[in-house]
Amino acid sequence: MNCDEVRERLTEHLLGPLEEPLGADVRRHLRGCAGCRHEMAVLEEGMSTFALATHAADPPAELRGRVLAVLEQEWSDVAPVRGLRAPRPARVARAQRRPASWMALAAAAVVVVAALAWGGISTVRASHFEAAANRYDAFLGALGGENVRVGTLRGTGLEGSAVLYDSKVGQSWALVLVRAPGLSGEVDVALSSSSGSRTMAIRSLYFGQGGEASTWLVTASSLKPFDRVTLTDPTTGALLATASVS
Amino acid sequence: MQERDTGSDASLVRAFAERDATAASELYDRFASRVYGLGIVMLGNSAAAQDLVQDTFVKLWRSADRFDETRGRLDTWVLLVARSLAIDSLRRRVLEARTLEATGTVRDVAPEPGPEEIAETKDMTARARRAMATLSDGQRAALELAYFGGKTSTEVAELEGIPVGTAKTRIRTALLKLREAMGEQHEL
Repeated sequence: MNCDEVRERLTEHLLGPLEEPLGADVRRHLRGCAGCRHEMAVLEEGMSTFALATHAADPPAELRGRVLAVLEQEWSDVAPVRGLRAPRPARVARAQRRPASWMALAAAAVVVVAALAWGGISTVRASHFEAAANRYDAFLGALGGENVRVGTLRGTGLEGSAVLYDSKVGQSWALVLVRAPGLSGEVDVALSSSSGSRTMAIRSLYFGQGGEASTWLVTASSLKPFDRVTLTDPTTGALLATASVS
Repeated sequence: MQERDTGSDASLVRAFAERDATAASELYDRFASRVYGLGIVMLGNSAAAQDLVQDTFVKLWRSADRFDETRGRLDTWVLLVARSLAIDSLRRRVLEARTLEATGTVRDVAPEPGPEEIAETKDMTARARRAMATLSDGQRAALELAYFGGKTSTEVAELEGIPVGTAKTRIRTALLKLREAMGEQHEL
């Protein structure tokens, strides 16, 4: 969408929500356009003024105590966890489709270290690693990226995860973590498109005695065309594991 | 009402999400009057407006980790959460009324008390109302329909009997004029 198309929809985006995928298109444009963000900020100030003018009214004094007491009850009923929120059942269900917890923790730890190395974020604390692994939206917002895609690697005697980070500022990266007890030596890793039109080899995995290995790629190129990660035996070319990244 | 920068608002919401009572108090002090007033206007009585305030702050806490200052201001987020809850409440009232009619048990609804007198106790509120005077009747009507009624531009156009483009322009112009008028008053 261009700026004219976005600005025509900004009031509906503000008062909306806009139907998807139009809303997502507008949000994506705003993330990368300071001019439209300024226009949005101006409209928000106008709405704030409208709210003040039309419906500011002092509530009864006792309402304050009532609301704060209700919040205290809410807080006491919801067990605090590391990070911001206690997980709900739906989140647990989603977590079960993710890689094993040690993978998520390791992936989150490496991701955060990589982000700090790039100067991306400075506010994520060590205690939030596990929360960060389950909150791609907050992570993405912090780094200003376009998308984070995750896939699960599965193979005989082998499991792992692949993370592709699509950056809009030329700092895309890929991270592959694998555990394969009993496996040693080198494994080739490649990114490919499901159409087969593109393939990119990245640094091989080297398995030591522990049977765990990781590799990564940081690139100024776009990783958007790639939606598969494959592990192959460098000697025979046999496919060891694959993951669809989405 | 103090103007805060977005970094400060983000940290306030973060503290609120982490159950900081001081942050909760500050959020209440900053926004309760507007949420309550919204409830008076949209729901018509103090009891419903007070419920709206409570429900809004509970929902704000439950969704605090989703507040993203890069997507919009804190007051916008608070007001839209409150408005959404108010609209839901209105829809339930309509549904309940229709259900009662269908079962032949229409209640005699006692007249609700009228909206409480809106007290002009804050300078910014008075300035905002002066800013409203800069809007044309059409601009004000379009904005009120979109804001209080949750109407889309298409629906506003149908209700007002104007083209969709005109409806969009009126809403946008109204917001821009309000912001400009507030800015001019602040500079005086």
